[in-house]
Amino acid sequence: MAGHSDSSSSEKKSGEAMTDVPTFSAENLQNNMKVIYYSRTFMSITGGVIAGIFGFTGFVGFIFYFLVMTITSIGLIAKAKFSVHSYFDSWNRIILDGLMGGLMSFVLFWTFAYDIVHIF
Amino acid sequence: MAEDLVLDTAIRDWVLIPLSVVMVLIGILRYFVSKLMRSSQVPDLKIVKEGQVIVRARNLRAGANFIPPKSFRSRRVYFNNEENGLLFVPKGQAQNAQAQMFSDPNMAMDMMKKNLSMIIPQTLTFAWVNFFFSGFVAAKIPFPLTQRFRSMLQNGIDLSTVDVSYVSSRSWYFLNLFGLRGLFSLILGEENAMDDTQRMMQMSGFGFDPTKSLSAEKDGLDIVQHEWALPKFEHRAEVVLKKLIR
Repeated sequence: MAGHSDSSSSEKKSGEAMTDVPTFSAENLQNNMKVIYYSRTFMSITGGVIAGIFGFTGFVGFIFYFLVMTITSIGLIAKAKFSVHSYFDSWNRIILDGLMGGLMSFVLFWTFAYDIVHIF
Repeated sequence: MAEDLVLDTAIRDWVLIPLSVVMVLIGILRYFVSKLMRSSQVPDLKIVKEGQVIVRARNLRAGANFIPPKSFRSRRVYFNNEENGLLFVPKGQAQNAQAQMFSDPNMAMDMMKKNLSMIIPQTLTFAWVNFFFSGFVAAKIPFPLTQRFRSMLQNGIDLSTVDVSYVSSRSWYFLNLFGLRGLFSLILGEENAMDDTQRMMQMSGFGFDPTKSLSAEKDGLDIVQHEWALPKFEHRAEVVLKKLIR
């Protein structure tokens, strides 16, 4: 996944632990969310093409999708050097956001690749 | 039941790929057209003023904990004061602003243009797909669905023993419609993808902006409890400076 972490632009520090009250720079937080969105979309498209070429059908394909999403999450967390709270406001963001949106792109490219390769 | 149909190679070449390519191109075209057609409207002075007041109130709410309690309270009174506070809008004026918003011809035209530029390409493409590509099996979706989806997905195919996984080109069109949103946001940058439902909702909520948001901001300011967040800030400064010296 080295190509993946290079393609996402740098994430900016959005949380400062300077006081007891956590403060967030909204603009940086939004930028980080955009980075997550782009990464997930790109990975779902690639994952869709791979699933189609391999010929996964049915349930296995969806499991593959969630596997790809997990790998993306791990990659993003690693890029944030494991200190998620200084880049995002909660764990849920980096793990769950954009999951369903990517699903549609995944299904499209999965169907496309599967048809082209297997039912040609 | 689950026999493997052998589908003609020509279908791949002349249906799936052209349809996807056409949809991508239409999306790109629509993006550029909407960029060109964006008329610059001269903003109304009163509305801009109100907008700026709202932004100030919001900043006050966001940064409330960083200023001493007394100055926060005096600022809040400035905004929420009954007689001449900036956020307090008497009921009579409220109705006026709404009516003005709706009868403003420029804004209505803009909204209509945006809606049209969204709907027309979709309708045209759908009609084109229906005309040319109906009546045969176009693709096989790799996962099984229940029988209830049959009528939705297999529109032109009149055989009832064909597996539900084999779908007509209409469903390929819809699949493309939803799936290419992600691709558009990657290519065209910054979510210029067509989020149909979201945009429709945004457009319909346009007319009520100034009045309701003023009273909403007022209530928001009233609610804020001031917690002075920087009491120990001299201690922290000391700690940080000590670290630097060491």
